[in-house]
Amino acid sequence: MIQFSEEAMREYQEILRHYPEKRAAVIPVLTLAQREFGWISQEVAEYVGNLMDYPASDMKSVSSFYVLLRQKPVGKYHLEICRNISCWLKGATACMAEAKRVLGVEAQEVTPDGLFSWDFTECLASCGTAVAMQVGDRYIENLTPEKMGEVIEQLRREAADQ
Amino acid sequence: MGIQTLLEHINTPGYETLEGYRKYGGYTALEKALQMEPTALIDEVKASGLRGRGGAGFPTGMKWSFVPRNSGKPTYLLCNADESEPGTFKDRLLLERNPHALIEGMAIAAYALDCHLSYIYMRGEFGFLVEPINRALAEARAAGLLGPSVMGKDFALDIYLHLGQGAYICGEETSLIESLEGYRGYPRIKPPFPAVSGFLASPTVVNNVETLAALPWIINNGAAAYAAVGTEKSKGTKLFSASGHINKPGVYEVDLGYPLLDFINNECGGIPNGRKLKAVIPGGSSVPVLKAEECEGVLLDYESLAKAGTMLGSGGFIVFDDTVSMPEVLTVIADFYAHESCGQCTPCREGTGWAAKILHNLVGGKGRKSDLDLLLKIADNMEGKTICPLADADVMPIRSFVTKYRDEFEALCVS
Amino acid sequence: MPKFILNDQEVEAQPGQTIIQAAQDHGVEIPHYCYHADLPIDGNCRMCLVEVEKMPKLTPACTTVVSEGMVVRSANERVKTAVRGVLEFLLINHPVDCPVCDQAGECRLQDYYMVYGLHTSEIPQSLKVRKSKAVDLGPVMLDQERCVECSRCIRFFENVTKTGELQFFGRGDHVRIGTIGNQPLDNPYSGNVAEICPVGALTDHDFRFKARVWFLHSTDSVCGGCSTGCNMRIDHRDGTVFRLQARRNVEVNRSWLCDEGRYSFHELEKGERLLYPLVKNGNGAPAQATWDAAARSVDVRLKEIGANAILGLASPSATNEALFLFKQYLGEQLGATLLDFRTDSEDRRVTEEEDDVLRHRDKHPNTMGALKLNLASAELGGIDGAIRAAREGRARAGVIIYFKPLVRREGDVDAEAKIAELVRSLEYSVVLASHHADWQQQASVVLPVAAWSEEDGSYTNYQGRVQLAAKATEPGGDILPLWEVFAMLLHVSGAESRWMTPDDVFATMAERVEAFQGIQLEQRRWPGALATA
Repeated sequence: MIQFSEEAMREYQEILRHYPEKRAAVIPVLTLAQREFGWISQEVAEYVGNLMDYPASDMKSVSSFYVLLRQKPVGKYHLEICRNISCWLKGATACMAEAKRVLGVEAQEVTPDGLFSWDFTECLASCGTAVAMQVGDRYIENLTPEKMGEVIEQLRREAADQ
Repeated sequence: MGIQTLLEHINTPGYETLEGYRKYGGYTALEKALQMEPTALIDEVKASGLRGRGGAGFPTGMKWSFVPRNSGKPTYLLCNADESEPGTFKDRLLLERNPHALIEGMAIAAYALDCHLSYIYMRGEFGFLVEPINRALAEARAAGLLGPSVMGKDFALDIYLHLGQGAYICGEETSLIESLEGYRGYPRIKPPFPAVSGFLASPTVVNNVETLAALPWIINNGAAAYAAVGTEKSKGTKLFSASGHINKPGVYEVDLGYPLLDFINNECGGIPNGRKLKAVIPGGSSVPVLKAEECEGVLLDYESLAKAGTMLGSGGFIVFDDTVSMPEVLTVIADFYAHESCGQCTPCREGTGWAAKILHNLVGGKGRKSDLDLLLKIADNMEGKTICPLADADVMPIRSFVTKYRDEFEALCVS
Repeated sequence: MPKFILNDQEVEAQPGQTIIQAAQDHGVEIPHYCYHADLPIDGNCRMCLVEVEKMPKLTPACTTVVSEGMVVRSANERVKTAVRGVLEFLLINHPVDCPVCDQAGECRLQDYYMVYGLHTSEIPQSLKVRKSKAVDLGPVMLDQERCVECSRCIRFFENVTKTGELQFFGRGDHVRIGTIGNQPLDNPYSGNVAEICPVGALTDHDFRFKARVWFLHSTDSVCGGCSTGCNMRIDHRDGTVFRLQARRNVEVNRSWLCDEGRYSFHELEKGERLLYPLVKNGNGAPAQATWDAAARSVDVRLKEIGANAILGLASPSATNEALFLFKQYLGEQLGATLLDFRTDSEDRRVTEEEDDVLRHRDKHPNTMGALKLNLASAELGGIDGAIRAAREGRARAGVIIYFKPLVRREGDVDAEAKIAELVRSLEYSVVLASHHADWQQQASVVLPVAAWSEEDGSYTNYQGRVQLAAKATEPGGDILPLWEVFAMLLHVSGAESRWMTPDDVFATMAERVEAFQGIQLEQRRWPGALATA
C-alpha cells in the first residue's frame, strides 16, 4: 500500500487551500503523487482517488490526457527532445538518434540501470535556442548531437554523486 | 526598433526581483489604477487598443467589458501562461525576466474586473520557473501588493501559480478552464462564453501573459501613448519570437506595422550562410505560411498579415531558407496537431492523425499525387466543424503548404 | 412557442428546445452519435451539423437552441458533404468487421453509411490506429477499435449512476474508452451502456452472438422485475425471448433499465413448465384434465366447502385484469372474504427506493394494482395470516396464485416455502402457477398459467401508473393466461362472464373500480395512465 509521506501530505493540504473547490486540485495532486511515486500507475490513481474521493478510473483518465503525467515508468533522467519546427530545422532528429545510440534503448524505454529514458516532445518554447531538451525541471538548450553525449555523461556523474 | 514597453529592462540584472522592478517604476501603475474607478480603467484599456497577445487578437478592454457586474458570483482572472504554440517563446522570457510586470498587470486587471482570486496557468514544462514565479508572488504578498488589502486599499487579491501538465490544447481558454477545474482539457462549447460562465461556472477572463504585462506601461503612460504606437487598427507593440534560419534568434518587441522583411534583415540579422529566404511562418505554426515573394511589402500587424492571407497569431516567427523541404516541415507540423488534438470532436481527432499519416507516407516516398487532393479534402472536412480552433490550426498550414508548394509535394510522389 | 423554418417548412418548437429535438418532434431525423435525449449534451461527434441562416459555420443541431424565425437546413448539399466527411473520418480507423459484429443491423455507422452513400475508406489497413478488440468487462464486451468516442457510455456512468467506471484514456486518435486496468464493470445498470452504444463498441455479453437483430421481432412491454414498471421492448423470435431493451418513458425510467430487469427473462427459462391442468383423482394421484373439467371440479368443490372457509391468495405479479377477476370470482361470486396477496410486506415496500436511479425494493410489478383493488385484507393478514387460518381450520380451501419472482434479493422472504406450507395446511387447494415445483404435489388442483411475456395485461407501478405489459411469446401446452382462468371459473360458476380479451376486463374495471375510473384503454400504452389514490 502506497501512501504520501508526511511532507507530501502537508503539501496536499496546502494545495487544497489554493482552490475554492476540491476538484480543481486534482491535477496538482496528481503531479504531487507522481513526484512521490514516480508515475501514475493504477495503484497511484486508486490512492489519489481514495484520498480525494473520486473514482480511480477518473483520476487515471485525467492523468492520461497530460503527457507530463506519466503512464509508465521513466528513467531517473527522462530526456525529452523537442521535435517541433525550429528544433527540427536545427537537427533535433539527429539529437534523438544520438540519445538512442548512447543510451542503447528505444524511445520510452528505460535503461537497465533505471537512470535514463528518452522521448520526443513538442515545442518547449525554446525555439530561439534550438535544439531544446527537457530533463525534469531543467532545460538544456542549443543542443547538438555532439553535446548530447556530454549531457548524458554529466547526468550520469550527477547520479553517482548523489 | 521602437518603444520597448516590455523588454526595456529585460537584461537588467535583478529586474526580476521586486526591488529591481521597483527601481524602474514598478507598481506605480497599480497605485495609479487603484485610484481609478474600475469602469474608467476598462475604458482606458479599451482606448489603448490593446488586443489579446496570445494569438486570437481580441480587444482586451472589450473582453473585460463582457463580464457582468454584480452577477452574485466571484469573477476570476486567469493568466494564460501555457505558451505552447510552436515557434513562440516570448511569454517564457517575460515570466523569467519580468515576472513583476505580469503580477502588476494582473493586479490592475483584477481590480478592473472586481476579481479577488486569480491563477497563473503555466505550462508544466516550465518547471524551472516555478520557484522564481512563486518567489515573485511571495515578494508581492510580503510587500502588500497582493493579499487582503492591496496597497492598503479595500481590495483583496490572491494569485496562485497553477501548473499544466503537458497539453497544447490547454492554451485554448475554455480548455484551460476545464483543465484548471481538474479535468481532461476538453474545450467547451460556446456559448456560454467564459466572461459569463467560465471557471467554476463563474465569470472568468483569460488573458495572455504578454497582454497582462502590457498593462502597467499603458496605465503609467496613458492609453493615448500606447495607441500612438503602431497602426490605426493594430495599436501598440508586439513581441515576436524569432527562430529558424536567422542569424539572431530571440524575442523582439516591435511596433505593430513594422515591415516584415526589415524585421528579418535588421532585428533578426538576416539569413545565415548566404542562403536565400524561402518562406516565413509569421505567427506560430497554425497560421498560413508566406512564400518569400509574398513577404514583399507585408507589415507586422493584424491587418496587413490578414491581407497577405495569414495571421499575426502569437508572433511565433519562423524563417526558412532555401534548403528546406516544405513537405517535411508540413509533416512536422501535422505530427504536432495529431499529437495535441484532444480527441473530442470527430473531424479533429481523426483528421489530424490521418493527415499526418498521409504526409509521412508521402515524404517516405510512397505518396501519390491524389494524396494531395485527399489532404485538401481532409482539410475541408475539418475546417470550421469542431468545438475549438485546433483543427483549423492544422487546416491552415496544410492548405497553404500544399497549394503554395504543390510542385515540391508532387516531386516526392511515386505516381 | 418559437416558430422556425426547417427545410423550407414552418414548424413550431417547444421553448428551449434544441434543433435536433424540435426536428425529431416533426419527424426529421438529424444524424447523430453522441446526442442522447437522457444524457447531458456533449456535441462531440459533429454528425448533426446543420446550416442555420446568418451563421457562417455549420452548427451542431444538438447544442443550438431554436429561436424565433431561425432558418435551418438539415439536408442540403453543404450539410450532406459535411456529414459525409465526418462519417468518413469515423470509418478510417474502424475495422469494418460487420460480418462478425453483433451490432450489425442496428449500427448507426452502417445506417448512415448507407444513407450517405460512402465508398471504401481511403486509408490502408496498415496505417490504421490499433486499439483493443473484445475486452471482457463482465456484463458488456468492449471493442475499442469499433468505438466512435461519442462518450454516451461515459456520460451514463458519470451522470446517471454517478459512478464513473468508464472513462476516456489518452487523447487524439489514440483516445479510447475503458475501465481502469480493464476491470469488469460492477454496476447494476451496466447493460444500459451496451444498449446506448450507437455502434458495436459495447455489446451485451448476454446477447452476444445469440441472434442477428434483423431476425428478431419486437414487442413493447413493461418489466416484471419490480414495482418501478420500467418500459421495455421484448425482442423475441419463435417463442424465445432474446433480450430486453429499454423503451423511453421520461415519467418512469427515462431510457434505462437495471440489469436485473434487463436479464430477468432468463428466470423464466429455469425449471419445468406446467403445461396441463392437473386434478387429483379419488386415490390422490394428480391426473391431467381438460380446462373445462378442471374448472368445473374446482367450482363445485369450493361451493361445497362454502365461502366462509375459503381463502384466496393472489400474487402481486399478476396483472390488474387477472386480479380483478380473481376478486370477482372468489369475492363477488363465491362470497369469500379472506382475500389477500402479500407474502413479504409488499404493501410497505412498493414505494421504497432501492437506489436513486430506478429500482424499488418490492420485486413485484403489480403490488400497487393489488392495493388499488383492495386485496390487502386485514382480516386475513397476508400469507402468514393465511397459514394461521389454515392451521386453525378457519380456512379449509384455498385458491393460490404463485409466480416465482423474476428478481430476487438476498433477505427477501422465501415466499415459495410459505406457499408450500400453506398448501400443506389446507384441506383443498387450487394452485395457479407457471412453473412446476415439488410442493405442488400437495395441491388438489394445479392449473398452468402464462408467465410474464406470455400474456397481455396491465400493471400498476409504484406511482399508480397503469401500463400495458404485452404478450411476446406463445406459451406451450394448454397454458392459459390467468385472467382467462378466472373468466372461465366465473362462467362455469354461472356468473356473467362476457370478457373476450384483457382489454374487455380492463374496460369493466374502469367502470367498477374507483381507482381506475375514467382510464381509457389507449392511455395505458404509453406513457401510462395514473390511477387515483
